[in-house]
Amino acid sequence: MELGSAAALDEAAWIRAAQAGDQAAFERLVRAHDRSVLRLAMNLLRSEEDAYDVYQETFLRVFRSLHLFRFDCSFQTWLYRIVSNLCVDQLRKRKARREESAVVDTAEGPRDRTDVHPDARPQGDPERALLSRQLGQRIFQVLQDLTPRERVVFELRHYQGLRLKAIGDALGTSEEAAKTCLFRATQKMRAALGDFV
Amino acid sequence: MNCETVKRDLSLFLYGELTLEEEQALQDHVEACPACRQALEAEKLLHQALDERELEPPATLLVRCRQDLSRRLQSGAPARPGWLAWLRQPLGWQTIFKPVGAVALVALGFVAARWTGPGAGPPAMPLGEPMTSQVRYLEPDPSGNLRIVVEETRQRVLSGRLDEEPIRQLLLAAAREARDPGLRGETVDILRAQPEAADVRRALLATFEHDPNDGVRLKALEGLKSFATEPDVRSTLVRSLLVDENPGIRIQAIDLLIQKREDALVGVLQELMQRESNNYVRLRCQRALQEMNASVGTF
Repeated sequence: MELGSAAALDEAAWIRAAQAGDQAAFERLVRAHDRSVLRLAMNLLRSEEDAYDVYQETFLRVFRSLHLFRFDCSFQTWLYRIVSNLCVDQLRKRKARREESAVVDTAEGPRDRTDVHPDARPQGDPERALLSRQLGQRIFQVLQDLTPRERVVFELRHYQGLRLKAIGDALGTSEEAAKTCLFRATQKMRAALGDFV
Repeated sequence: MNCETVKRDLSLFLYGELTLEEEQALQDHVEACPACRQALEAEKLLHQALDERELEPPATLLVRCRQDLSRRLQSGAPARPGWLAWLRQPLGWQTIFKPVGAVALVALGFVAARWTGPGAGPPAMPLGEPMTSQVRYLEPDPSGNLRIVVEETRQRVLSGRLDEEPIRQLLLAAAREARDPGLRGETVDILRAQPEAADVRRALLATFEHDPNDGVRLKALEGLKSFATEPDVRSTLVRSLLVDENPGIRIQAIDLLIQKREDALVGVLQELMQRESNNYVRLRCQRALQEMNASVGTF
């Protein structure tokens, strides 16, 4: 989702056009960012339905509030602020309910959240497959044990590749606070997974 | 840097979030310390294991999300004036013009409401006067009567001078609200005769930054020239320099900004050099940096 300089200028033009009522420009903005939004929600929530809900709510909010966007941060940061807040809320609700199960219903049927991506499964090596599965379960568990904020910071840094400064901006906090969060998250990961790697 | 600090910072190192000095110190330590070298390898493996857990949403989910979003936007949009018109709300102008906006719309007759023409309004309205009207609310009652709330505006002619408050306020509203860029341009032309008034300057700044028409933006820029060293004007110029689509405006923004040579401007121009695609603007930018004895790149 990181844009080059020329693309960023194009994007500013789309935003202005969308703010002026250009539907096609709004659609281009959505298309430019929606895959990343969905990926972030999917990785944070590990549920297709929850990711779907977050996607819808994120872009409806963008639609309703785009006229308030003043270019005082990048559009990406503004967008991540919306999606991160929605995901944090969802994670907090789950924490409160303690309901998260490792198995989720997907369009393709029940699936174990701790499964690695099918392409990444070690082929023809049962021992490695078992190890990988155990590692997956351990990772799933440690991600669950992170606070919602640690989880979001880790996700934005590790999987989305955002700089800590941008993460701080997106979460309405300082770079230093985001760094502390990331530090805590990786400490917990290391403590839980150190013997596996 | 000792082993404890290194082990603590390994992850931040792999994320590239340490300062150059910290990074150098960590690398130096790792080279000399086998235990920390091993810890670094373990940290890399941990990152790799985490990389493999990334989920890619199924394509079918993305398609469903897009289709449903599109449907929701369509169905959620009011019939009139439509979401496009809703999105057209101005940026930051409400606060400037709200108190006078309604009056201005009536008086100058550039309201975007439906033109009904003489005699086309409800019977209670006086006929023969130019008028715009719009149905705002409709309520049928059980007896079959309809209660309709109609918003109406009437045209009238005002005359006066720019230094008269009502006239100036109307012009300020017109500079933003008029749909016709020609009218906005004329308004800006008149307003820029009084750029020392704070509200006029705000209006010129907002027009320069937000007006969709290049000609109108240029006129607003003309009006701001004598204030090119003022902080509010400079920050608007910098923003436009980085986002305005018109290369002519970007060049003029550079010309005005370098009237006051300050350190912060060097960084702005260097950033512009990185992202600017227009050769003329790049050349002007390069010359400005040279005039300021600054390097062209940030290195």
